[in-house]
Amino acid sequence: MKMNFRKNSKAIILLAVIAAFLFVAARGMSGKDVLITVLRGFSVGSVTFLVAAGFSLIFGLLDVLNLAQGTLYMIGAYVGWTVYVRPDTFIDVLTPVLLILAGFSLSAIWGRLASLIRLAPKARKTVAWILILAGLGLLALILTRYPIAVWDLNNYSESPITYSYMADQGMRIIPAEATFEKISPVLALMGLLVTSGISAVGIALLNREANRTQEINWRKLVLPAGLLLVGILVAIFNASLTRWMFSISSNLLFVISVVVAIISGVGLGALMETTLIRPLYNRPIYQLMLTLGLGTIGLQIVQAVWGRPEFVLPKPEFFTGTGGACPATNLSDLFTNHCSTIMLLGGRVRVYDEIFIPIVGIIVLIMVWFLLKRSRIGMVIRAGVQDRQMVEALGINVRRVFTLVFALGVGLAAFGGALAAPSSGLTPTMGEKLLLSALIALAIGGLTSFPGAALGSLLVGLIQQFMIKYGQIGIPLPFTDAVFKPSPALVPASTVLLMVVVLLILPHGLLGNKE
Amino acid sequence: MNNILEVKNIHSFINQYHILQDVDFVVPKGSITALLGRNGAGKTTTLKSILGLANVRQGKVIFNDREVQGMPPFEIAALGIGFVPEHRAIFRDLSVEENLKIAERNKGDLERKKTFIFDLFPDLKKFLHLRGTELSGGQQQMLAIARALVADNSLLLIDEPSEGLAPVIIEHMIDVIHQLSEQSTVVLVEQNFLVASKLAEYFVIIEEGKSVATGLMKDLEADQAMIHRYLGAA
Repeated sequence: MKMNFRKNSKAIILLAVIAAFLFVAARGMSGKDVLITVLRGFSVGSVTFLVAAGFSLIFGLLDVLNLAQGTLYMIGAYVGWTVYVRPDTFIDVLTPVLLILAGFSLSAIWGRLASLIRLAPKARKTVAWILILAGLGLLALILTRYPIAVWDLNNYSESPITYSYMADQGMRIIPAEATFEKISPVLALMGLLVTSGISAVGIALLNREANRTQEINWRKLVLPAGLLLVGILVAIFNASLTRWMFSISSNLLFVISVVVAIISGVGLGALMETTLIRPLYNRPIYQLMLTLGLGTIGLQIVQAVWGRPEFVLPKPEFFTGTGGACPATNLSDLFTNHCSTIMLLGGRVRVYDEIFIPIVGIIVLIMVWFLLKRSRIGMVIRAGVQDRQMVEALGINVRRVFTLVFALGVGLAAFGGALAAPSSGLTPTMGEKLLLSALIALAIGGLTSFPGAALGSLLVGLIQQFMIKYGQIGIPLPFTDAVFKPSPALVPASTVLLMVVVLLILPHGLLGNKE
Repeated sequence: MNNILEVKNIHSFINQYHILQDVDFVVPKGSITALLGRNGAGKTTTLKSILGLANVRQGKVIFNDREVQGMPPFEIAALGIGFVPEHRAIFRDLSVEENLKIAERNKGDLERKKTFIFDLFPDLKKFLHLRGTELSGGQQQMLAIARALVADNSLLLIDEPSEGLAPVIIEHMIDVIHQLSEQSTVVLVEQNFLVASKLAEYFVIIEEGKSVATGLMKDLEADQAMIHRYLGAA
């Protein structure tokens, strides 16, 4: 207990010193500057927190440093952009994705059958790989012929930048539809299902031992059948769905975009964990290289699909009102006119960037906190962080919890990306910057501590924004007339400096556990 | 079938180390069986092999007429095996109540077993909202045993129940384990021969990864030469 108090007192003193610094720094500013800077700090902190929280959950339970987290944040942003700006592309992509998932989800059923086939282990492996590769090869053949309406990076009038601009101007014209030309629709749909099914048989053959005890029941068929049905329905009603997506309010469309981004993140996370991370649990160096490599591959894919130039995800109507009673001076004005800005302490505050994002950050913080502290799965996670074997010895499938946590962590990062996209814009470098901020935030807060991730992210956001602000107004140096203006390069450096100071005094971060 | 558990000539590995090299014994239903032997002989690994926490590469583990070797530990445990590990493994971030609740296999397990568990361990009831690791050593051991009782387990594997406990508490522990054995079969590892002899009806002696002797505890008690040979001074 005594040690506990001493450790906490150190953290409290350190926090007090940081707060005093921020207070002194704020003294030279006007009230509205301080307010806006603090709100921006909260905003950046919230987005950083979403990435850092996922990182910390994954590291805490799985001991995996997921260095792809930055790229997954970026993918979340680009997926959100695609759904929001090009719903037709999203609808076109939906069918193949669902059918492929349906094909692969059959592997649970093949598993039992595969375990009955008697083959020498070597032959089994060879057959399995032949099936997997043949399936994937045929799948690629079909996919390249599958019609998907998409932007054109080489043609400016059809580039993402132009579509962003049009969406921003409220010009929501449905682009030309892609049609089945190179392949017949029936063949394409059947092919997607069958080829992914073939790969699934291969995968099932590889996992013979794991499937030995699995039972086949009708419940296992529900998921593949459901995916198949939805996929085919989307294909049939493609045109009307597209028209519907273009006709709904941009607020609803934005919500759909964010939800799709989160689901993509969760799906990618689950896929990563089950296929790539799982075989490497006892090899941390390989995990690092793997996640780093995946991050780079993801970055290249993003550049190839969406291009290098920067563009924005336009804000939905709810945050773009101008004129009339805008900027709003009270809440009723804000809600009736959907103002993009609001006057606070005489300063103009952007509603989406500086109010909405922090609120979402706080809501997510509370939700994840409740998940950890009040739900059974949270209990299992907290126990598993300490002793996986014991949790497993209680009859709990820890692997499934691992997959879930990894998926949740990646989903949070993707959520962060989609949330930040209307405020910070989309560039292929957005992930790297945020990964670094998130890592620094975690080091400051304590690597496996969830509240630490929140506190660290907030501090990183605040310090960055104060440094940016001082870059504009300068810090008056005491006893002289000189003014020190930190250059933009000092913004990231200042967070690193804070990290160094914190780690020198508290090697486990502000709220980290000693381990 | 009278035996709830049969361990048949198993060879087990932890990482690349070949720890068990032919362990073979049976556990009759409703009995208390003690695994005895010197430090590092492979007693704990034997318990872990039953649960699948150690890798059984040869031989069979049969629980309730079902071969369980090679199955993932959580599936084996779910068949009805409770585990009380060495050093208790109380979850420090969980309250006493959560430490019990996490062991539920069906919703409401804890609710059903509450009276039974708190009759055995009245202390736990008082400290339900403390963190697990704020309890004393004896109370932590009680909690670890209680945790194994939350789900319906027909077999309890208990590793070193008396380790680090005061004599008075050990007496209580012996009492508790006797009460438990009325409902479940118990296999325990015990360094303290006096405690083991008070508890168990059957014994298995493990020496350098092999089971070298099995039988009735009362026969072993009478055989000072054997005690001396395998267990050192009793």
